[in-house]
Amino acid sequence: MNQENAERSDPFIRIKRRRTLYLLALLALLTCTIFICILIGEIGPIGAIPGGDHISIGDAVNILLGQSHQYSNIIWNIRVPRIFLAGFVGAGLAAAGMAMQAVFRNSMADPFIIGVSSGAAVGAAAVSLFGIGGMFMLFTQPILAFIGALVTVFVVYRLGTIKGHVYVDTLLLSGVAVAAFLGAITSFMIYVQQQQFHQLAHWLLGSLQSASWTEVEIIALPIVAGGIVIYLYGRELNVLLLGEEAAHNLGGNPEFLKKVMLAVAAIMTSVAVAFTGIIGFVGLMVPHMMRLIVGSDHRLLAPASVLGGAIFLIWADAISRSFVSLPVGVITALFGGPFFLFLLRSRRLRGEGR
Amino acid sequence: MKVEIQDLSFSFEGKRVLKDISLSIGEEEFLGLMGPNGSGKTTLLRCMMNFLKPEQGAVLVDAKPIHTMSDKDLAQLFAVVPQTSQIEFSFTAYEMVMMGRIPHAKSRLSSETKADAKAVRDAMERTNTWQFSDRQYASLSGGERQRVIIARALAQQPTILLLDEPTVYLDITGQLEIMDLLRELNREGLTIIAVMHDINLASRYCGKIALLHDGRLESQGTPEEVFTPDNIIRIYDVDVIVRKDPLTNSVSVIPRITTIVSAMHGTRVHVLCGGGTGGAAIIGLRDAGYAPSAGVINVLDSDFELSEDLHIPVVTEVPFAQISDETHLQNLQRVMEAAAIVVTDFPVGPGNLKNLEAAVAALGKGKPVFIVNAETVEKRDFVGGKAKQLIDDLISRGAVKVNGKQDLMAKLAERLGR
Repeated sequence: MNQENAERSDPFIRIKRRRTLYLLALLALLTCTIFICILIGEIGPIGAIPGGDHISIGDAVNILLGQSHQYSNIIWNIRVPRIFLAGFVGAGLAAAGMAMQAVFRNSMADPFIIGVSSGAAVGAAAVSLFGIGGMFMLFTQPILAFIGALVTVFVVYRLGTIKGHVYVDTLLLSGVAVAAFLGAITSFMIYVQQQQFHQLAHWLLGSLQSASWTEVEIIALPIVAGGIVIYLYGRELNVLLLGEEAAHNLGGNPEFLKKVMLAVAAIMTSVAVAFTGIIGFVGLMVPHMMRLIVGSDHRLLAPASVLGGAIFLIWADAISRSFVSLPVGVITALFGGPFFLFLLRSRRLRGEGR
Repeated sequence: MKVEIQDLSFSFEGKRVLKDISLSIGEEEFLGLMGPNGSGKTTLLRCMMNFLKPEQGAVLVDAKPIHTMSDKDLAQLFAVVPQTSQIEFSFTAYEMVMMGRIPHAKSRLSSETKADAKAVRDAMERTNTWQFSDRQYASLSGGERQRVIIARALAQQPTILLLDEPTVYLDITGQLEIMDLLRELNREGLTIIAVMHDINLASRYCGKIALLHDGRLESQGTPEEVFTPDNIIRIYDVDVIVRKDPLTNSVSVIPRITTIVSAMHGTRVHVLCGGGTGGAAIIGLRDAGYAPSAGVINVLDSDFELSEDLHIPVVTEVPFAQISDETHLQNLQRVMEAAAIVVTDFPVGPGNLKNLEAAVAALGKGKPVFIVNAETVEKRDFVGGKAKQLIDDLISRGAVKVNGKQDLMAKLAERLGR
């Protein structure tokens, strides 16, 4: 009894337990999310169009268990890859956002706000416009998107840094300006490309419509690898928040770490953008919510953000599918815009972020 | 572990910030790095933590240059307490301290061990922060936060602690709390090197001071050796009085009061005082442009120290001795040279009764005499009524009674037509 009490009062044991508990809970939530969202769609079982064809929950479960059915194809080749793509993109954007927030020591950073998504979009749109890579466009698109993202992140970082100090206002404003500039370039390219205008415009708003297994296969590797790298640098990300001197003392080389993290964030953002367009605010909202729940220790926050990002975007996409396939970027922006303003305002009220 | 800084130079943006610094820090020393803003003390500290690479020279620990050591070894040797540890993200105090264990981690994949948990607990108990384990770091007070950061440094189990102005954002309670803690840690065997701003705090706690000016090491040694008025006037460009604080037995530096004297006319006024009663009159006279003198005061009396500090002429007697005839004559000479005489409310005993007699002599020569707080004389009379008799006599013959500095200055000005 006494020993049990002693253990309960020891933060060391409590923290370890908490960590496992949170991750198991999020994993369970993700599993439920995937299962429920597989059932959502035009032919049901959930959200079926009234009067149209629809299947029962039993049929859907049987299909998932491997029985063949006239709608097997819809479930397995349309819905499941779309959910997986949403999961990977959500996870990637959330992890990228979290890494950027640590690098900039500021919870307002996000691939969309910093302009990295727009940089990736320029690269990806250029591939469609000029047909770069021909039949290998599925590969050249993420690569050019990556180059666009990488250049943008370092340009914005440079603009926001004066004599080694990151000025948040300058950084955010630089990001906004760079994003607007790059957005204009993308719009121009899409406008010129009259035949594909509608399809590209949809992509620009951020959509998972084009999901297929091929895309899932391509995106899985960089997202998973990026997530692992971020997790492995979790301790260093923690000390990065303590300032240069302490980070140097405890974690070796903060400048190198920052560059690695920004590159990894750019990779994750660019593959996401290449396949789904610009889906904003996921990288801002998810890590913030997770921080409120699990705290800021990146070895817990990183996996929590990955899982939370997947859960968030799968649901957001399920909602967008239920509204006559509204692009999911519209949904995230509808939530994200006000959320960003709320964050900005509460920070101002606390007197931070100057 | 002996730290040796050898001919260290450092430039930033083409400007030499540190110039040929050589300094050795012995085992278990408490060194204060001092100097005005921009003198290079923080830069020197950063070179010592291997955060900045010197242009020339090196920092050696036990004869080994630190830039040849691995980050991990360095982190177990030096622990850093930065100037500010503000953090926007939410960490508990325990999580903050646990970060100090990173240099001890075997690999990226390994999680915290029992040994880490013990080191964290020891460090937090040592700094009296264990009770905040679960509190958010950001919710703690300034002093508490600094203690948590010191706990983090201790969790590194270093031999040397490097601190950049550890008390800069703290109130006086927090300052003393942190300095006391550092002193205890130092006594337990930790070498402490701290950039400090407050000379009095540094001289009270640091065993050794290195004083920097314009990137050069100007002076090093004990606080008494380094904080001489000459050094401070030269380096900080302020005029100071250096005293030994009787309470802490450490050097205490007091900036001289600098008032704008409206018109320096130099009218001489002699103040008969002693026992710390002369200060108000002497300073008041000086500030109004008079040239005060004082007497007879025993050496080491606080009125004596004040007169010395203000460089005014003073007639002195050896400590605790009765005023001798010779000294009395000197005093009378000052009295005769003065345009007016002020008698402060000093306690009168057999030793200094002659001070009142000097006032009587002055009045006899037609000099105006001003008596401060004459009505309290009975309480200060330790010569069986003689003092009261003399004061009453003075007043009956035309001496002016005054109450307080302002009254004195007004009546003096009126009488002397100023």
